[in-house]
Amino acid sequence: MAKQVGREQQGITLRGSAEIVAEFFSYGINSILYQRGIYPPETFTRVQKYGLTLLITTDPELKNYLNNVVEQMKEWLYKCIVQRLVVVISSIENNEVLERWQFDIECDKTAKDENEPREKSQKVIQDEIRSVIRQITATVTFLPLLETACAFDLLIYTDKDLAVPEKWEESGPQFIANSEEVRLRSFTTTIHKVNSTVAYKIPSH
Amino acid sequence: MSQDCSDEWELSKENVQPLRQGRVMSTLQEALAQQETSIHTAFQLKRQEFESKIRFYSGDDPLDVWDRYIKWTEQTFPQGGKESNLPALLERAVKALNEQKQYYKDPRYLNVWLKFGNYCNEPLDLYSYLHSQEIGTTLALLYITWAEVLEARGSFKKADLILQEGLQRKAEPLDRLQSHHRQFQTRVSRQTVLGLEETPDEEETGLLGAAEPQRTSLADLKGRGKKKVRAPISRVGDALRATNQTRSFQTPASQQLSSNPGFAVFDENSASGPEVPVLTPQPWTAPPAPRAKENELSAGPWNSGRRPRSSVNSGPEVSYPLPNFTPYVEESAQLQAMTPCKIEPSINRVLSARKPEKEEDPLQRVQNYQQDTQEKKEMIMYCKDKVYAGVEEFSLEEIRAEIYRKKAKKKTEEEMQAIAQEMDKIQRKIEELEKKLKKKEGDEQQQSCEQPPEITEPSPSFGLQGFTSSSATEVGEKQPQLQRASWFSITGDGLLPPQDPAAFFTVFDESSTLSNQNMSCSADHAQKSARCPLAVHKSSDSLPANENVSPEACDELNGTEPLAEDAIVTGSYKNQTICANPEDTCDFVRAAHLASTPFHGVVAQRIPDPGLSQSVLKENCPEAKSTPPNQEMLVCEGVYNEPLCVNKLSPIMEASLEDTHSSGGSVSSGSSLSSVTQISTMKYPHIPQKLELAHSLPAETAADSGRIIGDDATGILWSTEQRKKLLDPMPESLTASPYFHLETGPLPIIELEKDVELGNDTYCIKWKYWTKEENKMFFAIPASIPQLDAKGFAIKVYSQPIPWDFYITLQLQERLNADFDQNFSENCCCYLFQDGCAVLHRDINRFTLGDIIRGSKTITEEVILLVVYNLLGVVEKLHNAEVVHGDLNPDVFFLGDRICDPFANEEMMRALKIVDFSHSLDLRLQSRVSLLNSFPISQTPHGQQLLVKCPSLYQVDLVAIADIVHLMLFGDHIQVYQEDSIWKISQNVSNDFWSKLLGRIVNADGKSTVPLLRALRLEINDMFDSSFQGRLCESLVELGETLGELPGIS
Repeated sequence: MAKQVGREQQGITLRGSAEIVAEFFSYGINSILYQRGIYPPETFTRVQKYGLTLLITTDPELKNYLNNVVEQMKEWLYKCIVQRLVVVISSIENNEVLERWQFDIECDKTAKDENEPREKSQKVIQDEIRSVIRQITATVTFLPLLETACAFDLLIYTDKDLAVPEKWEESGPQFIANSEEVRLRSFTTTIHKVNSTVAYKIPSH
Repeated sequence: MSQDCSDEWELSKENVQPLRQGRVMSTLQEALAQQETSIHTAFQLKRQEFESKIRFYSGDDPLDVWDRYIKWTEQTFPQGGKESNLPALLERAVKALNEQKQYYKDPRYLNVWLKFGNYCNEPLDLYSYLHSQEIGTTLALLYITWAEVLEARGSFKKADLILQEGLQRKAEPLDRLQSHHRQFQTRVSRQTVLGLEETPDEEETGLLGAAEPQRTSLADLKGRGKKKVRAPISRVGDALRATNQTRSFQTPASQQLSSNPGFAVFDENSASGPEVPVLTPQPWTAPPAPRAKENELSAGPWNSGRRPRSSVNSGPEVSYPLPNFTPYVEESAQLQAMTPCKIEPSINRVLSARKPEKEEDPLQRVQNYQQDTQEKKEMIMYCKDKVYAGVEEFSLEEIRAEIYRKKAKKKTEEEMQAIAQEMDKIQRKIEELEKKLKKKEGDEQQQSCEQPPEITEPSPSFGLQGFTSSSATEVGEKQPQLQRASWFSITGDGLLPPQDPAAFFTVFDESSTLSNQNMSCSADHAQKSARCPLAVHKSSDSLPANENVSPEACDELNGTEPLAEDAIVTGSYKNQTICANPEDTCDFVRAAHLASTPFHGVVAQRIPDPGLSQSVLKENCPEAKSTPPNQEMLVCEGVYNEPLCVNKLSPIMEASLEDTHSSGGSVSSGSSLSSVTQISTMKYPHIPQKLELAHSLPAETAADSGRIIGDDATGILWSTEQRKKLLDPMPESLTASPYFHLETGPLPIIELEKDVELGNDTYCIKWKYWTKEENKMFFAIPASIPQLDAKGFAIKVYSQPIPWDFYITLQLQERLNADFDQNFSENCCCYLFQDGCAVLHRDINRFTLGDIIRGSKTITEEVILLVVYNLLGVVEKLHNAEVVHGDLNPDVFFLGDRICDPFANEEMMRALKIVDFSHSLDLRLQSRVSLLNSFPISQTPHGQQLLVKCPSLYQVDLVAIADIVHLMLFGDHIQVYQEDSIWKISQNVSNDFWSKLLGRIVNADGKSTVPLLRALRLEINDMFDSSFQGRLCESLVELGETLGELPGIS
């Protein structure tokens, strides 16, 4: 707490920004997994975050996996070499991609050389993040029902010259053919800006 | 994309109903934005469009319109609710498509039912109803939805049973059903395991409640506890659906309410949930119990629930102390919230008067409706089905307008084509004329006198012909260019007024009447004769002729207006009883006109206008007409100088009759008065017309309206012209035939129940099979033997003096030699008249294949095999002889002796007889022809698809065969789609043999047809074994009985 208060006064540093964004991804992905019913709702538990009640997984394996990804993301965010994180939801049976949550990350690479922290209140950032997460929750109003059992995949777009770490592999973009795209809100820490979009199959008319 | 516009969906997220298939964001945004501004015009228009499409759909897939309408409604009204009217829409759809067996396996149809189920009091009833009716029982979705509902209610066993049954029935898509079943089993087993784990520690129940707090609605909010006051938390929700412990935890909370006097508050916790009524095996005989509906009290006197007086008095006295605390204001409230809260303006509407509806289960309504339709006691004498087809009610005027619009559109199209044709023709003529003019400069005067007959030359199928002739006579001497211009102006003046069928009165225009007086006369006649050549008239004898009414008056009245009227008054044309007693509705409608027509027209007419009266004189004596009488005129007068009757007029009508005398019916452009007077005087002759129109209407409103357009414009002209050329001069084989008779007079009028003389024999017409453009087919018996036998004569009448059918028959005989047998008409006689042609076929059984298809609900496999065997054989023969039939359909095949007299005939190839070759092509003569779209079949949906890149004309008949086979198997027309460049049948053909056969026929791709037909025929031949013959005999006897019951020839 003390640390946070301190940071609020100090403004936003690159490391702090990376942390905020990585944390957002952690909660965001958890929210998507819960809202879209990828894992049974019993395996989630409530936590208070961003002034909201969020659900995060209690499944140890999933938790571990997500932590790994988020840690990796944090590192890349700090290095400003990550461009995009995508949560792909696909049917287990035929591997058809049904939903694609895309978080575009704009890194301000000049921040690497700066020593001065940027001025933005942590509270404002939190409010912005809250709006994004609320929108993720609200997407049930228009997203199609996922009728089959689904699995999810995380894709991370990085700069080209990056060596693929262990346990990661290169992948295609896994687009949805004939999809409807809805832009969600975005938030920025002044160093990292995250634009969110969700794509889903166009309902047949 | 600006952030503002993307807000809308989030702001209204609570008011958007989630859809299984998701929503289109743009539609959603639009819908939400529109509803805010309450500009619904666009939606209203779209809805109107759907509504009218439902009424006037003419394709063979009415479900499609409903399906799109429903989907559109779902997307456009995200809040559901009253405005969307979705429940009513679904109910209508279900009612409208009731008993449409072809949809029972259609996923769209099942979807409509399932969506409807969501609005029923008890969806489970609906599911078992669907199950009992075999609706969608081949589809996985039914079982999945059913099981889901059961699972949600905790009946896992039943849900499992349902899924099992679906698996047993191999419902499609099976893999989805299987995976659903697997998932269901996992869920159930997991819950059982969880339940086992949790039961031992009962005391933990309370903890569980605290750990996962769930609020009960309307629960007591009084604080509990001593040290720390806490509002009792007792929540409900999906999370606890499975755990039974919480259920018991809730009950005390809800029971507290029962002690509350005065009124009962709806409690969703007690109403929903496990106490679901037990599924009765036949719930639709007894209605299911009404659902406990929220916030609905039955109306009663208000004073009974009054509060005690004392408390009312004490109310105002209570003074509220100022709160001694400052309300906490969240910091963020000061900031502009990222997602501002919005008060939904449409919510206010909810509070406006909403009358308590009668509690009735929609499902029950539908079932009642179905029962009602089954035992129909009432006859509806107007087109009720059209008025109430969709969700909204259409007025008769709207329907009338729609019919008119359709007709007008068709007409303009026809006319445009006709004009184009005429233009070409005239252009050619003009060129010829110019040549001639150059040749004989000196004899100009003489030539112009000779030319008119040459210009006008036949082709009476076009109403315009009449004009051209008259205009040509008048302007023949002028320059050719001028001639063309004048022709146009005539079209404008003379043609358009009668083209306007729905106008009840036209403004009287003196100038146009005067200027067109001479012309319009012939024009009208010509047009009339074009519209219904050889019209069949019933009961037009025995009435004395009336000289007072000029032929024009008839024309006007016989114009298209009454036709539109008919559609409305008699509704679906099935109510033909109206024609038997025409006095009531007919007069009523007429009287309505009379009452609403301003009568000042009379005054105008009574003042004798010099110009007018002159023309009256002219009109009244046909000899004085300036136009040279031609053949069409003769026909017309024969038809329209028919007996008229004036005995039975009401006083009003007699009064108006006087006006007829003064005006003499000279008003060709149709003033209000003339329409009135004609109504009264023309009452009787009009009725037979009406009858005929009522007969012909279904054909027009139904699927082939498009076809008629095509045929009229291109088909007839093309074929008539070409045939005329081909048979000119008449081939010797034709004229030398002993059965060919050249008659001098005009074609006799052939009427039902009347005698007609052909050659030296008189025949009595007993039955009319069909009328197509200029062709008609009748059934007749010799007048000398009035007894009706199973066999008689078929008389084919063609209103062109071209003996085409006879020619084709002769050619077939010549080319096929021995193969020209029972399948064709042997020894048919052809009578060629000046203006038409009749072919008399002997030894014809009076039923056609069409009668079998319409008459019997299911046709046995044996009969179908027999018919298809013959069908293939006949077409094989035709194609062998290089003849393409072009219009194969069930109605052109007369039944052969093998079917009609099964015991006397064992020969399998004697089941069908074909005599009509109206659309046939002789490819030896007409090899250049590649106008595929002139065939009727190319106007049908399947024809259009299959013939689009058709390399061979023979293909036309193959498509027709496929369609006939499909008709016999399923009772509806074939529908095809393409997959990997292979045509497939939309209908699920369960029988392997038929699906292969149809597949091979539709995928013939320009291969030579004869080997294919032969191969298919031989395949069927292999199936004819001795046991087959036995079964066939049985089926034929049964079929004979069905045919005997058909409305026959009395």
